Amino acid sequence: MTEKGLESAEKIRKLVGGSSYSYCYQCGACVGDCPAARHSAEFSPRKIIMMTMLGLEDELLTPDSIIWDCTNCYNCYERCPQDIHPIEVIIALKNLATRRGAVPDSYQRMTKVIHEQAASTSMTPTMERRRKELDLPDLYPPPLHEIRRLLEEV
Amino acid sequence: MSAELRVTPFFGCMISMKLPQFEAAVRRTVDKLGVELVDLEGFACCPDPLYYKTRDKMTWLILAARNLCVAEDAGLDIVTCCSGCTATLSEARAMLTEDEALCAEVNGKLKAIGREFKGTIQVKHIATLIREEIGLEKVRDSVTHPLTDLKVAIHYGCHLLKPSHIMQVDDPDHPTILEELIRAVGATPLNHEEKLLCCGKACNDPDLPPKMLLEVMRSVNKLDVHCMALICPTCFDSFDFGQIKLKRMFDEEFHIPVVYYFQLLALAQGIAPAEVGLHWHKIKTDNILEVVGAENA
Repeated sequence: MTEKGLESAEKIRKLVGGSSYSYCYQCGACVGDCPAARHSAEFSPRKIIMMTMLGLEDELLTPDSIIWDCTNCYNCYERCPQDIHPIEVIIALKNLATRRGAVPDSYQRMTKVIHEQAASTSMTPTMERRRKELDLPDLYPPPLHEIRRLLEEV
Repeated sequence: MSAELRVTPFFGCMISMKLPQFEAAVRRTVDKLGVELVDLEGFACCPDPLYYKTRDKMTWLILAARNLCVAEDAGLDIVTCCSGCTATLSEARAMLTEDEALCAEVNGKLKAIGREFKGTIQVKHIATLIREEIGLEKVRDSVTHPLTDLKVAIHYGCHLLKPSHIMQVDDPDHPTILEELIRAVGATPLNHEEKLLCCGKACNDPDLPPKMLLEVMRSVNKLDVHCMALICPTCFDSFDFGQIKLKRMFDEEFHIPVVYYFQLLALAQGIAPAEVGLHWHKIKTDNILEVVGAENA
């Protein structure tokens, strides 16, 4: 493993909050039960973990990387006999990619909406009307001041 | 009925702003189960466990902790109605409770807005609350119009059950909770082969979600059912509007109405279909009403 590889691996360990992914013995239980792997010729949690262990994760840190095809379903988390939680490693890699600005547009858009509105979607006149029709209570104003203050802290 | 259980509902962005009929269904039905929903000011996006969490897990955790604090300050447990919100708030709570150093770090940030996570409240998906705390007996007692002839394909989705050591709802491979809930309204639940398959919403490659969706719909279509019932707004969106997309993409046609469990409970409690917005679904729900109407006549 290169020195650079070790440095990257150290960063990932900090993000995951543990170094358990090095316990992976490449059994492939995560692949067998992965819905993305079932439908994609490229996606494989085992391959992602292997590349990360070898310090080759740089190749995965791009906006069109396979890491963004993870379904977030947690099957690998349930299956892994070594409890390495492959999905958490994938999330850590996505966090690293984000720091490099190597993120798909959809992720950028969602973040912007949440930061601007404290919600992941916007109210539309149709939905306002439906809420009234259903006799639902008015929504409280979003706590934007608190969200903005917290974002200054991080 | 006087309230026996007071909790605060966390409907989340998608239900409040895209599927308000689900909110109406929950509010109307749990009222008949002795649950008082206390709406609190101050909740924000959970934040979403896919896009936002994977962008920056620490910020995700801090914003999730803030939501938990809002409920803690009111001394009320949170009841979630969306699997995504359930995933975020349950996992954040578990992380903060299990890791003291992490909790201290998060509380250091929350100080800026005068809040502190103490770990004094629980987070539960409404389906779990019903089975564990309200009890199916009470659900059965609330039913005035049992959905006797209705055959329902159930779909679990991912985040009600997993990660199982955090959610602690059911065995994630052999869950029974939705079957039990469907039986409680007098309908017949049927297990389709892919009932545990992810809806695929999260994949960035646009080819993947339709492939998963196609597999789920084919699996449901093998059964003789009137509808599909679920407890997750993301699954709902994928399967309801998704059937229209499938027709365009693969020229395979499905007409399987998709409903949120609490809409079925509402019908069984004698609540009018329009009061829970069944007419707004993309795949028409008329066949359900016919079956139920025949029963109710």
